Amino acid sequence: MPRADLWAGTGFLALGAATAAESWRMPRFAQLEVNPWSVPGLVPGLIGVVLLLLGAVLMLRAVREGALRPGAGLAGELGFDAERRRRTLLALLLTLGYAVGLVGRLPFRTATFLFVFAFVALFRIERDMARGLLLRELAFAALEALLVALAVGFVFERLFYVRLP
Amino acid sequence: MPGGLQLFLEALSGFAEPATLASVLWATLLGILVGMMPGLTATLGVALLTTLTFKMPAGDAILILICMYVGAIYGGSRSAILLNIPGTPANAATTLDGFPLARAGQAGRAMGIATAGSFCGSLIGMLMLVLVAPVLADFALAFGSYEFFWLAMFGIVISGQLTAIDDPLKGWIAGFLGLLVAMVGQEGIHAYQRFSYGITELSGGFGLLPVLVGAFGFAEILQVMKQPAYEVVRNAGGRILPRLAEIFRYRRTIVRSGFIGTLMGLLPGVGEDIGAWGSYAAARRASREREKFGKGSVEGLLAAETGNNAAVPGAIIPVLTLAIPGSAPAAVLLAAMFIHGIRPGPLIMIEFPSFVYEVVAMVLLASLAILVLGLALTRPLLYVLAIPRERLMPVIFVLCTVGAFAIASRLFDVWVMVGFGVLGFLLREMKYPMAPLVLGVVLGPILDKNFRRAMVLSDGSLEPFFTRPISAVLALLTLISILAAIPRLRTATLRLAARFGGGRAVAGGGSGPGS
Repeated sequence: MPRADLWAGTGFLALGAATAAESWRMPRFAQLEVNPWSVPGLVPGLIGVVLLLLGAVLMLRAVREGALRPGAGLAGELGFDAERRRRTLLALLLTLGYAVGLVGRLPFRTATFLFVFAFVALFRIERDMARGLLLRELAFAALEALLVALAVGFVFERLFYVRLP
Repeated sequence: MPGGLQLFLEALSGFAEPATLASVLWATLLGILVGMMPGLTATLGVALLTTLTFKMPAGDAILILICMYVGAIYGGSRSAILLNIPGTPANAATTLDGFPLARAGQAGRAMGIATAGSFCGSLIGMLMLVLVAPVLADFALAFGSYEFFWLAMFGIVISGQLTAIDDPLKGWIAGFLGLLVAMVGQEGIHAYQRFSYGITELSGGFGLLPVLVGAFGFAEILQVMKQPAYEVVRNAGGRILPRLAEIFRYRRTIVRSGFIGTLMGLLPGVGEDIGAWGSYAAARRASREREKFGKGSVEGLLAAETGNNAAVPGAIIPVLTLAIPGSAPAAVLLAAMFIHGIRPGPLIMIEFPSFVYEVVAMVLLASLAILVLGLALTRPLLYVLAIPRERLMPVIFVLCTVGAFAIASRLFDVWVMVGFGVLGFLLREMKYPMAPLVLGVVLGPILDKNFRRAMVLSDGSLEPFFTRPISAVLALLTLISILAAIPRLRTATLRLAARFGGGRAVAGGGSGPGS
């Protein structure tokens, strides 16, 4: 996957360079007369340099393998056809919506009910509409969501004494 | 000081309580279920259970986690045999002969053989744990900062190389990314907050568990949901109880695979996946029925399942004696030990000698549990494979969210889990292994502190890194590992291996996300 490697290599090279630069800027505590080999930027700086070098090798290898020649494109190289793209985006949207949007803003059980219901319903809706089972599936999704919201809450809070978000 | 056998028997009798045995059974069963379901790995299972058990007494919690670990690595063989999909990456080699056996109407026999192999593998690994751990801990007492630096570096290099056998460069990048992640937050010598930029939550660095749950749980959910549907086969035809004569016939393969699996477990961050592939490749090379491999060979199936389960106790050896994990699930186990106030490392045989033998007893109980549950519940367990992923994955994500939150009760950890999940997904899509990344996160502070300490001790001289005997050996091993990964040298080595072995060494072990 030369095209993906070229992008990733560029990213690692940039990350390595930024890490090395930031490490260089870290304090050396010279006024405290600390040993110069114990400064906090030493190891992250070296890691940055290694990451920069590995990124450069990856980039060069990708170019040699034809990353700059016309080809299938990044999505094609990674096997992201329209169907897979759609499924991945839907899963991302639902999970991020729950973890970043709902959790912490709504009560845990309500947020979990909404998320599980939406996830099951949206992923099964096409198949079940075709089979004429939409209403039954929606009812099952609601039941599953309710059970999960109640059971997870009960198991974590009551059995294992763990706090919920 | 009491002898090892006495400590082991005391530990075993200490666990002979109904409540403890019930914990062994439910945790192992849960492990088998986690392992069976594609999309759930042993690492995620151990990580989620760590969050559930952190308020329990240390012994109970570690017992439950070990049962989950052993159960999950074994449970993955079920889906490998019946669906041709490894339940955990450690069971990838199992698909090669397990699925052809199932297709030939011998799924029950294949599951029985896998159970016997896993049981034997765990036992061999357990014996090695008893024999090697005290010796290694004693040996490690001679380790100073120079040696610990090289051990960490060797771990990153060997893990990066063996978990991405087709492309070690990506394995190393993953390892160094992990080291970089570990650099965030307060460092251990001057208490300076690195890469925190005034953000309070970053001052303590990224928590290992949210990172792991993201990289192994959320990333896996995205990967599973991305794929079109797979066909579920529910056919457990054939006799399930393995014939002792059949197992005895392959005793050499079992013992060899047990040793290889344990050794692969011992190597930092290498773990069960390579334990299985290495054992499989060695069994194929030594077999008189080589032509059957890949077409339903009982010997191949036994080798793969013995190898991956032997790697579990193998991976626990460096956890106990060096505080360095042998695999990704072992990294979580290490974190759990620290959470519960156990300090693994070279001093373990001095500070907590009985704990090592308690762990041995825990492995024995987990092994017995997989044998009993695996054989008794073969058919009921098949129903688990029929759960549609659209129903299962949202539940797993809810558990990931709660699991990330639970340890520190911070929403920030949920965001860390999500961030590392997306990063892990992208990296996996580009064939970067996750195990070196996790190892990097664990080894980062060890490498950082020991390198700087060593440099202070030597006043900036690199000489002791190469002249102290153990340091020199570790440096040499690291160099050999790097050189062996250079394409031209590698091609020559593989050509030699093919000439003498007639097979692909650890073929296909690469690019897996880790157990």
